[in-house]
Amino acid sequence: MAAIVLYCLGIESTAHTFGASVVSDSGRILSDSRDVYASAPGKGIHPREAAEHHSELAARVISDSLKRSGVKASKLAGVGVSLGPGLGPCLRVGATVARSISAFFGLPLVPVNHAIGHIEIGILTTGAKDPLVVLVSGGHTAIAAFSGGRWRIFGETEDITIGNLYDMFAREIDLPSPAGPQIEKLAGKSSKFLTLPYVVKGNDVSYSGLLTASLAKFRSGAVLEDVCYSMQEVSCSMLAEAVERSLAYTGKKEILLTGGVAANRTLKGKLEAVAGLHDAVCHVVDSAYTGDCGAQIAWTAMLALQAGLATSADEALVRPKWRLEDVDIPWRDSAS
Amino acid sequence: MLISPGETAQARLIYKGAEAEIYLQDWQGELAVRKSRIPKPYRVPELDESIRRMRTAHEANMMHEVRKLGVPVPAIHHIDPESMTLIMDYVRGPTLKEELSTLSMSKRRERCNSLGNILGMMHEGGIVHGDMTISNVLSEDGKLFMIDFGLGDFSGEIEDMGVDLLLLNRAMKSTHYSFHAVLFNAFLKGYAKSVGKRRAGEIQQKMHEIEKRGRYFERG
Repeated sequence: MAAIVLYCLGIESTAHTFGASVVSDSGRILSDSRDVYASAPGKGIHPREAAEHHSELAARVISDSLKRSGVKASKLAGVGVSLGPGLGPCLRVGATVARSISAFFGLPLVPVNHAIGHIEIGILTTGAKDPLVVLVSGGHTAIAAFSGGRWRIFGETEDITIGNLYDMFAREIDLPSPAGPQIEKLAGKSSKFLTLPYVVKGNDVSYSGLLTASLAKFRSGAVLEDVCYSMQEVSCSMLAEAVERSLAYTGKKEILLTGGVAANRTLKGKLEAVAGLHDAVCHVVDSAYTGDCGAQIAWTAMLALQAGLATSADEALVRPKWRLEDVDIPWRDSAS
Repeated sequence: MLISPGETAQARLIYKGAEAEIYLQDWQGELAVRKSRIPKPYRVPELDESIRRMRTAHEANMMHEVRKLGVPVPAIHHIDPESMTLIMDYVRGPTLKEELSTLSMSKRRERCNSLGNILGMMHEGGIVHGDMTISNVLSEDGKLFMIDFGLGDFSGEIEDMGVDLLLLNRAMKSTHYSFHAVLFNAFLKGYAKSVGKRRAGEIQQKMHEIEKRGRYFERG
């Protein structure tokens, strides 16, 4: 008799993306549907408007995901939802929808930390074993490694994230979104390096001075392509140095780059160079899952579910500031 | 045997860090450490060179200043900004990170207390380390030496001192998570002895503030 396969639905709604996905317990991603709220040019995410977008699209995205997977809702083993960190109004949409599905179909509800989702989908799609994780997105710039049942932070930004640096720069000068790819494209047209502040403190980086200086350079007449090139060079080199320091400190032999900014080729190239210097391997999350998506939540929920981490609906409250190092990970063995 | 500055024939690589390679070599009849900052392929050459040159000169200067405050650091014998190299005393001992794993709890507290003491002396003297981890402290028969001052700076800012505490606390947490609170509390005791209780409290408060800042960044 064939072994029973478990399926889990995952729902993501922490920021601008509403996503839903179905995965199997062997890590097969059967569907990954999403719809992204587009903010007005020159504007950031408006939490309430993004939440309205999510409410409107939720049913459609979830049924699309179930349909594509070929799995009936009643056959699911559980439903996972990312409860934080993220924007309160956006998180509440996902949580409400997940609670209803859980109650209606009598399914276990599994709370998922969004950042852990980025890490787990990275590990699933690359086969990384015991990596130093570099999580880069609009919400995070963090370097972490696993020990003693949790992901421990070894380095991070002391002010804004690398995703924010690009977003805020683009917004200030009215570049169309998404900012990251735009800046990368413009940067690719220049090789003229302008001096900009390079700030590394231990394994930490600080980007706010770089943002101010880049804007000032552009406003005082520097060529946009040169500014983008230099800002990208400096920001990615700073992070590469912080990663190299963490790699030397932890002695890890794998790097895992994950999160939205993992799509940036300059950053990827620099981290590959760091890995090369320390006989390490650099894994990069599958490009289909760099950005926020349901699959990262569905897969993490599947792992958590199998470790017995389901909760009741009234305990599944949103946690906008939920820290990644506060999450117990019973499904992963410490290598050290 | 005597060898001239820059000569590497007898040098032996003992440590490859993130920033520099550390060699053990003869220096005027004594064993000495040579720290060479190596080029990084992930930085454009003009940026890379200026960073390495600046940090080499800066580190020597910082160590000299810190020494004047009575903080134990290896003595510098030779500076070569062109090859981005420093030659300094060889401290025979493990890093505090390594040593802490092997000690009894009371010895651990003792070490962290003295670390607090000397970092406090530095801060009182207006110098911050900038890369304050337990890997950047060497223990030679229980006597602690501070090393790696490339990111150090003159500063009377509570923010910069808070960063030193944050980096140290995180290093303790990430490596010795089962007893890091004991280590950090012992550190704080020694630190307060040097800077005063009130000041230590303020800086610790700042540390928590910085830590919260960098976590999840709310877009909007």
